Amino acid sequence: MNETEFSDLYTNLTQELRRGVLVLATLSQLREAKYGYALINSLAERGLEIDQGTLYPLLRRLESQGLLESAWNVEGSRPRRYYALSPLGARVLDALCADWRSLTGIMDNLLESSSNHKEKI
Amino acid sequence: MNLIDRYLHEVGRYLPRKNRADILAELRSTLIDTLEGRIQGPASGASEEDVAALLKEFGPPQKVAASYSGQGQYLVGPALYPLFRLIAGIVLASVVGAQLLALVVLDLVGGQPIQPWETLAKVLNSIPAAIGWLVITFAILQWFDVRPELDEGPWDPRSLPEVKETETVKRGECIFGIVGGTLLLAFLNFFPERVGFFSFPGGPFFANPVIVQYLTWINLALLAGIALNIYLLWRSRWTTAGRLARIVVNVISIFVLALLFQGHNAWLAEHGAGNFLSSVEMFSADPAANAGLVGMQAFRLAFGIALLVLIIDTAAQIFRLVRSVLIGGPTPETLEA
Repeated sequence: MNETEFSDLYTNLTQELRRGVLVLATLSQLREAKYGYALINSLAERGLEIDQGTLYPLLRRLESQGLLESAWNVEGSRPRRYYALSPLGARVLDALCADWRSLTGIMDNLLESSSNHKEKI
Repeated sequence: MNLIDRYLHEVGRYLPRKNRADILAELRSTLIDTLEGRIQGPASGASEEDVAALLKEFGPPQKVAASYSGQGQYLVGPALYPLFRLIAGIVLASVVGAQLLALVVLDLVGGQPIQPWETLAKVLNSIPAAIGWLVITFAILQWFDVRPELDEGPWDPRSLPEVKETETVKRGECIFGIVGGTLLLAFLNFFPERVGFFSFPGGPFFANPVIVQYLTWINLALLAGIALNIYLLWRSRWTTAGRLARIVVNVISIFVLALLFQGHNAWLAEHGAGNFLSSVEMFSADPAANAGLVGMQAFRLAFGIALLVLIIDTAAQIFRLVRSVLIGGPTPETLEA
């Protein structure tokens, strides 16, 4: 496998890995209402870069699933659509957080044993 | 700003009508927010380069619009596709089968002789038309987001069909088919004048004029049969492609057999012996002159029986194909002829 093939494969796999956590990351930032641009900044400040082309469709999907509520706010310099967790979204977020913590615990264990194994070899 | 308007207009062209205005308003507000964040000032102060760079980052309008369409845009989506495939198979088999059947019936009952090329053209033309209507129908279902109700009752692994030998191709049959087909092909083409029968042991030889007349078609059917057997031998398992190929070869053979049957009919009618009894009468009245009649009757009967057997076999093959596509697994032995 040459370098380009490796990098293509690797990029695909990282994207897949990231896609899984984006929902949780987005929900975690919406306990208070935010508009898209502010949400992107707030995620970026904490180290998670998310593409606009990914975020907006994701927000709409979460809203159609009833996890988010949105409303246009026309008070600022221009109208902005604000998103916030719905009561259902808040419940789902709590449950997902618990799952995430248990999953990271499991993954840490797995990865640790895998790297120990590598050292022994 | 003009660039942003043009960009949004273009994105809007690809968005579903339902949410278009809403998505565009949000996209506009985001673009301007991002722009202002970048130039640290009001958007009116942005240069065309700033806007162009931002839009380039957002991506081509079509791609941006596509990202809003969720699971992608389909003419026939994944939820409908298995049903589409199943129905396409049934429709194709019925369209082609019905035409051939109508033709054979018209020929036998209505006395309209089969025109090989016209028939082929008609059948070939009817396929795209049938598929076209099917796609249009499914595209409408897709448009209204109809999802077929799948039978999702409790599933018992013990209900899985058993894997039977029927899945494997019988090698002996294939080899017999190849050898027999080749010998017949060689005989028919090298000794066309020897294709016929002796009216009685030691009697004069009577060459069959009808077989020689349709030799090209017979060659085609035999070659197709040999090719099919080689393919099956090579694959050694029954696949959807293999079953489909067998159906196609069978249809060709049915067609050629119908031609031969009709040819014998015409020949016998021409010689005043349309039915079996009249040939026997004519034969007993003057055995020497009418020796050919009984032989030709026998040929006609043989072709008729072969035709019937092949039609039944083809129906069974179509049934198996549909079944294997539907179930996606091997067919039970009970279906094997």
